[in-house]
Amino acid sequence: MNGVPLVAYLALGLFMFTTGVVGVVIRRNPIVIFMCIELMLNAVNLTFLAFARYQYTKLPVGDLQQQSSMMAGQMMVIFVMAVAAAEVAVGLGIIMAIFRLRQNIDIDEMNLLRG
Amino acid sequence: MESNSIWLVILLPILGFLFQALIGPRLGKGAGAKKTLGIAAVLPIALSFVVGLLITLNLAGRAPSDRSVVVAGPDWISVMGLRLPFEWVVDPLSMTMVLIITGIGALIHLYSTGYMAQERDYSRFFAYLNLFIAAMLILVLGNNLALLFIGWEGVGLCSYLLIGFWYKDVVNAKAANKAFIVNRIGDWSLMLGMFLIVALIATNTDRFAGDRYLSYDVMLPALQGILQDNPGMATAIALLLFGGAAGKSAQFPLYLWLPDAMAGPTPVSALIHAATMVTSGVVLLNRMHVVFEYSPLASAIICMIGAFTALFAALIAFGQTDIKKVLAYSTVSQLGFMFVACGAGAYWAGMFHVTTHAFFKALLFLGAGAVIHAMAHDQDMRNYGNLRKYMPITFGTMAVGWLAISGFPLLSGFFSKEAIIGSALASDHPTVQGMRFGQISGWVALGVAALTALYMTRLTCLTFFGKEERWRNIPATEETHDERHSLADSGTILNEDLSSPRYAAARELEEAEHPVVENVVETRTLPSVDPHGFFYKAGEEPHKEHEHHHALDQNHQPHEVPASMWIPLAVLAVLSLIGGYALETNHAFRHWLYPQELPVLGQVPAAYPNLLYLSLAAAIGGLVLGWLFYSRGLPKDQGHDESGWNPLRRAERDQFGYDGAATTLAVQGGGDLATALWQWFDRSVIDGIVNGSGLVARGAGMALRLLQTGVVRAYALMMLVGVVGILGYFFYAMTTGVGR
Repeated sequence: MNGVPLVAYLALGLFMFTTGVVGVVIRRNPIVIFMCIELMLNAVNLTFLAFARYQYTKLPVGDLQQQSSMMAGQMMVIFVMAVAAAEVAVGLGIIMAIFRLRQNIDIDEMNLLRG
Repeated sequence: MESNSIWLVILLPILGFLFQALIGPRLGKGAGAKKTLGIAAVLPIALSFVVGLLITLNLAGRAPSDRSVVVAGPDWISVMGLRLPFEWVVDPLSMTMVLIITGIGALIHLYSTGYMAQERDYSRFFAYLNLFIAAMLILVLGNNLALLFIGWEGVGLCSYLLIGFWYKDVVNAKAANKAFIVNRIGDWSLMLGMFLIVALIATNTDRFAGDRYLSYDVMLPALQGILQDNPGMATAIALLLFGGAAGKSAQFPLYLWLPDAMAGPTPVSALIHAATMVTSGVVLLNRMHVVFEYSPLASAIICMIGAFTALFAALIAFGQTDIKKVLAYSTVSQLGFMFVACGAGAYWAGMFHVTTHAFFKALLFLGAGAVIHAMAHDQDMRNYGNLRKYMPITFGTMAVGWLAISGFPLLSGFFSKEAIIGSALASDHPTVQGMRFGQISGWVALGVAALTALYMTRLTCLTFFGKEERWRNIPATEETHDERHSLADSGTILNEDLSSPRYAAARELEEAEHPVVENVVETRTLPSVDPHGFFYKAGEEPHKEHEHHHALDQNHQPHEVPASMWIPLAVLAVLSLIGGYALETNHAFRHWLYPQELPVLGQVPAAYPNLLYLSLAAAIGGLVLGWLFYSRGLPKDQGHDESGWNPLRRAERDQFGYDGAATTLAVQGGGDLATALWQWFDRSVIDGIVNGSGLVARGAGMALRLLQTGVVRAYALMMLVGVVGILGYFFYAMTTGVGR
């Protein structure tokens, strides 16, 4: 980790995640909410990568088996990205359907399930 | 005959019952059928008596220590090391009762063939009567308390069925219900006593050999040792068993069913409610006497309740005008005597009085039945008088019964009462904290003996003596209409005089007003099966009790009863005459029942200074006083106008308010209690739980509904808060080590 300490990555991840959470809670446009969710997922990705890289540098050189097992963090990022892409595809489809139905995608208007 | 033949004694009445119940209704209602049914009813009981007599003679021929035989039978209950077989105990106590039950039972069956000759439900009557004999035999012969309980409930059932024999009359049906329900209280107590004994045995099984823990021959000797270590248990068991005995034998708090039981046919009153069933409490106390010997406290209570019952019932007897009611209260009173003896530890004297009482009280009841039969079913003694002229045989035999119950010298009641009073006066057993309750009850019993002679003289004089034939000028009855409605509508008719002329008139009035019955016969529109009849068949005329009933009017000529009715009277008169003397000679009866000394009390003395003169004075004094009061017929102040009676007699007529109060308390109080429980407990507590659980769910739903706003962002916020909470908890747990 050439000069950039682990804590910096984590702080950036935390900032991104918090921004995403606040965005999901306060914004009414589903497109923006999706972007905020994307932001949270990427904050997690960043954290995964930072820890994986950090652990890799701590290992003794040449222990191949250990090194390959340390790739789990990187693998996780690939998974998250794939799932996020799928989720966006489905979510945007739903939003298109709702728009066709109501000519409006304000999320606060979708309260049919109110108790 | 060997003891094994005891099976025959029990099975014969059961066969008789099956014959009457299954074949009897198919024989029709003709005179020939009745003759067959009558013979079929009397024969099994008479044969039972003969077999029982032969077994008893065989038993008497053995050595006294050899006189208790257990006749084994198949297992009834066999569970977890406990075996409860159908087995019978043949010993002096059970055989004495067998002879009384079958002997007097056979006589009363014979009498019934005449008394019930006009009845339609002839076979139903004898079916019940045979079943009763069988149940009573099981009660006295069963070798464990469970078999005793079968008989106990069986006789209760038959008593109920026979009191309500004329069930179309609501008064009889209610009397039957009352007897059954009041007996339940006693049975409950008896069952608790039995359970307590079982519990006591279960904790002391090491003292038993074999697995027949509850059989008398095993249980009673073992109970001696157990009770010696648990005197408190002895008192508890003794009182609970006595509670059962008090129900069946009509002792004070529970006596009130017996006078109402007189609603049944008179032979039933003689057999069940005088000679046999009501003495089963005394038999129980004799059988379980070990328990009572260990408890002076319970014995004192038994003595005092017996003495109080004897006094109370004797006083009430003075206020009664119904001949059967007088005899009913006399029975209650005499049963009190028997319990005085049992409380004093003179168990044999209790049984002695059971025996002589069976003779003379059956005689008196059958004699009263003959009088009632002759007087067109009028039971009011105020309408009798001078009957000795018309019914010489009945008069002669009943006079023997009258003198015997009064304790006239050398007649049977004299010996048994003297034994009871003497034992009570001399006994130290029922002594609690220095108070000799035996002696107190003995003095009370002596006074009651005089009262007995007095009220029995009243009964005899009003019925048979006096010049005036009072049925020839019965005062006109008034308010019959109101009477009928009060009888039909009110729930408190249990206290009504069941057979007053006013009631008889009311019944006729009702029949006159509702002549539906006759119409049905003519038009033959009767339903093919009477839904309420037991032995009904198609096409028969509807049930009408007392078919030969014709009103008692001034031209009525009383007639002597047929031979089938006076032969039993004569036999019982002979027994009443010599029975006491024969059994008391050389203390034969006492040594027969209890050849050895009692295990705890030893020999209970029956001698008291001047006992003979005391009991003679009581008997003769009562007889003479009664003769002075009543020999000239009905005193003016005891006539039909009951408002002219003196207040004491009116109080006695109303049983000092006890029956009314107890019935009101039980019926009204029970109803009020149930209503209160319904209003309060059921409605607020039970319904509260049910409705409350619904309300809680509903309220929780109402509250949680508010969370579901439909605003997706709010859900997201809640999720966030939840996740932060969970993570915060994990963080807290990790840093402090909670849950590790």
